[in-house]
Amino acid sequence: MFAYGSAAPPVDANEIDAITERMRPRGPDAGGTWISPDSRVALGSRRLAIIDLTDEGTQPMTDVDGELRIVFNGEIYNYRELRVRLQRLGARFHSMTDTEVLLQLYRHDGAAMVELLRGMFSFVIWDPRERRMFVARDPYGIKPLYIADDGQTFRTASTVKALLAGGRISREHDLAGMAGFWLMGSVPEPHTIYQSIRAVEAGTSFFVSERGIENARRYYSIASTFRRGVQDEAAARLVQPNVLLRELVTDSLCNHLVADVPVGAFLSSGIDSSALVALATEAAGEPPRTVTLRFEEFAGAPLDEAPLAERFARRIGSDHVTRLVTRDEFLADMPKLFDAMDQPTIDGTNTWFVSKAAAERGLKVAISGLGGDELFGSYPSFAALPRIVRAARLPFAASVAGRMGRSPKAKAAARFGGTWEGAYLLKRGLFLPDDLPSLMGADAAREGLERLSMLEHIAGAIEPDPGTAFGRVAALEASLYMRNQLLRDTDWASMAHSLEVRTPLVDATLLRQIAPLLMVEKSRCKQHFAKSPRNPLPEWLSGRQKTGFSVPLAEWAQLPADGTSTRMRSWARRVMEQWA
Amino acid sequence: MRILHIGTDSFGGYGGIALYNRELIAALASHPAVDEVVVIPRIIVGEREPIPPKVTFVAEAARGRLAFLRAVRRVGSRFDLVICAHVNLLPAARLVTKHPLLMLYGIEAWKLLRDPISNRLLHGVRGVISISEITRERFIGWSHYDGPSQLLPNSIRTEWYGIRPKNRALVSRYHLDGKRVLLTLGRVVAAERYKGFDEVLEVLPDLDADVSYVIAGGGNDVPRLQRKAVRLGVADRVVFTGLFPEEEKADLYSLADVYVMPSRGEGFGFVFLEALACGVPVIASRLDGGREAVREGELGSLVDPTNPAEIRLAIIDALACVEKRIPAGLDYFSYANFERRTHAIIDQFAANA
Repeated sequence: MFAYGSAAPPVDANEIDAITERMRPRGPDAGGTWISPDSRVALGSRRLAIIDLTDEGTQPMTDVDGELRIVFNGEIYNYRELRVRLQRLGARFHSMTDTEVLLQLYRHDGAAMVELLRGMFSFVIWDPRERRMFVARDPYGIKPLYIADDGQTFRTASTVKALLAGGRISREHDLAGMAGFWLMGSVPEPHTIYQSIRAVEAGTSFFVSERGIENARRYYSIASTFRRGVQDEAAARLVQPNVLLRELVTDSLCNHLVADVPVGAFLSSGIDSSALVALATEAAGEPPRTVTLRFEEFAGAPLDEAPLAERFARRIGSDHVTRLVTRDEFLADMPKLFDAMDQPTIDGTNTWFVSKAAAERGLKVAISGLGGDELFGSYPSFAALPRIVRAARLPFAASVAGRMGRSPKAKAAARFGGTWEGAYLLKRGLFLPDDLPSLMGADAAREGLERLSMLEHIAGAIEPDPGTAFGRVAALEASLYMRNQLLRDTDWASMAHSLEVRTPLVDATLLRQIAPLLMVEKSRCKQHFAKSPRNPLPEWLSGRQKTGFSVPLAEWAQLPADGTSTRMRSWARRVMEQWA
Repeated sequence: MRILHIGTDSFGGYGGIALYNRELIAALASHPAVDEVVVIPRIIVGEREPIPPKVTFVAEAARGRLAFLRAVRRVGSRFDLVICAHVNLLPAARLVTKHPLLMLYGIEAWKLLRDPISNRLLHGVRGVISISEITRERFIGWSHYDGPSQLLPNSIRTEWYGIRPKNRALVSRYHLDGKRVLLTLGRVVAAERYKGFDEVLEVLPDLDADVSYVIAGGGNDVPRLQRKAVRLGVADRVVFTGLFPEEEKADLYSLADVYVMPSRGEGFGFVFLEALACGVPVIASRLDGGREAVREGELGSLVDPTNPAEIRLAIIDALACVEKRIPAGLDYFSYANFERRTHAIIDQFAANA
């Protein structure tokens, strides 16, 4: 908190305590608050101790001179090499934490520091000399960060619900955020479900001074990274694709394995998690402990991942657990799950249970294959979107759609399909804009849709143009679906169990390095990835038809039919009731 | 003991592989148990350096492809060790032996060979000698070669270099008076856009105005880089030397305050050793053999060539070094160590060792 305006009351110790307390499950190991002598600044933190388990890692932390202060959520994987550089430049340290490296890096490089970080992070540094805060969030938006700024006092926290717990922020709904949820199944950043709270956009940083927020800067763009990849294709053609993938992903993995506690892994029967586990085994010399979920409702069906995951675990020799989850457990967990759910979303139940299972095994950190589909182009959207755009741009497309007449999909295709952003809305949309009046009311829907400007919002994810169809779809999926849904849900659903999920395939450094290869090999990269371990994935695994990481929500929650096979529209209604 | 060296170029050759082969042949010949090293070169382009004692140099092999093959066939098979000094020469080496010792340098061994015969032949080799770990790993990655292998990195004759003041004639020629100089040396070829020239150019606008960038080398990509420098507004701070005489090389290095090459295609990066031998701080790439040339950061800074901020800050850090010095760790690459490693390789792989 920073009471920066002259009319702002001093910061309130009770408020910072309440906000911090709400975060206790995210950081059960320690906590602390600090209030500046003039009561204009308050910092609070809860700690899940993973690197340097001593008390030296407790936050808020000061630098060795007792001047700069920081609260930091996440991990900086390259902190050791940054520390070596800083020491060479004369920096001194009082701990072995990545947190303290951030303080010294800020002192040495200022706002440019964020471009040197490899990791997932959101942090706030209070610089008393300049009387300003430096605020930053990681490039992909793996770690969340929300702000509420009333023009006098700046508040920020890792969750929306923590900000609300302070009791000083309006709970008035944001119609744009609600419209976004109905359209996409999650609230699109920077909107939240509340008018007074906004998400700090991924890959951005800014200062808060006595003049308010200033010097906001986007320091990383997924679309630009793909665009650059096209220019650097020559570098990708030098090395055998599976070998280059092994090198770069192993490097990312080794960074993601940095911890002073054991690191486990989620294992499905898909290529991404299996290849990661195989590469982690090669890198570490022994396999990580692995966890898979099983549901009786899926027994014998393609969605049942347990048998193949167990077979693969036996093959690599991992200490593996298949955790059965039943409807009774789901129903018993539902109140806790909704309490942990930071904003409405149709996803996250899968991560809730697999994180619970990992935590039961005593793990504090787990590796996940999340992001592999976005990186290696294995979603159906990679084939479908270019087709939709091409078809809708044909000269006779409108008349064909007209003849199909009554089909809402056909009408929508004619209306939206001619652009990448429209095609994405069609493909990923939960409901279409025309459905919203019946869900929100006509006036609220109109206002919400107008303020949301969904198509412009989607188009922003491919600005600048990544240059190829693959790059466009990859940028759309990573900047929208993955960021707003997968990563956000993974954060709340795992941290509720005091488990940190790490995603080696969601890594800005990896994307920069791998982008030229993606531009050359496109969706073939998935099979190259399957061949990247020294002992490539077996055919019975790499050749398996792709399935999502699903839970039998329709059966568990007895969702009514809604025109979709997954009944996610019905689940969305059930979820939204929690925010009524 | 007799050793046969079948290579692309060595004495009378130009560039990194030729230099490496000359050092290798000299080190082979200095092994006490070696009686003769027969060298069959594929090409000779320039004046031939003095041939070391015990070396028989079959110069006529370089007259053409047929002459080369004829020389290989005529040389006979009574050798204790046959060194095939390039993967592309495996079919030629097969004329003498099924089991040559194969040398690997860099990008030529980073992906499946175009020639299917060579792909097959490499599984029969007696061993693999790689200039760097990254080349060995990348080679094993695609070839699944599982035989013995050793590393033999470049050597540097530090006595040929040394710290020297900036050559006034070069400073004047390139208008570098009062400038702090960044240097990259290499071929400027469109097909090899992984040297890191673009990456350095792109951060130049964010560096102090007194920092100039010297691109030392010629090639068909110079016009594109010149246009890029104009577009970035730094044309007056970029010098393209074009091809330069070999005897100016040490002076060129000494012009530099920082040698920076954020590349992605170096098998090793001998240029880093040369720059270090001139006392110039170096910045190498984490993503290719450069990182081994600077011994994983011990001898110089490492950057991710895809991260402009990291390159920029590393340059700023390196420019802050006020005094040139030759790092003690450079001794790891001394010729004496190279020779010792070469002798150990002979002892391991020669038939009667």
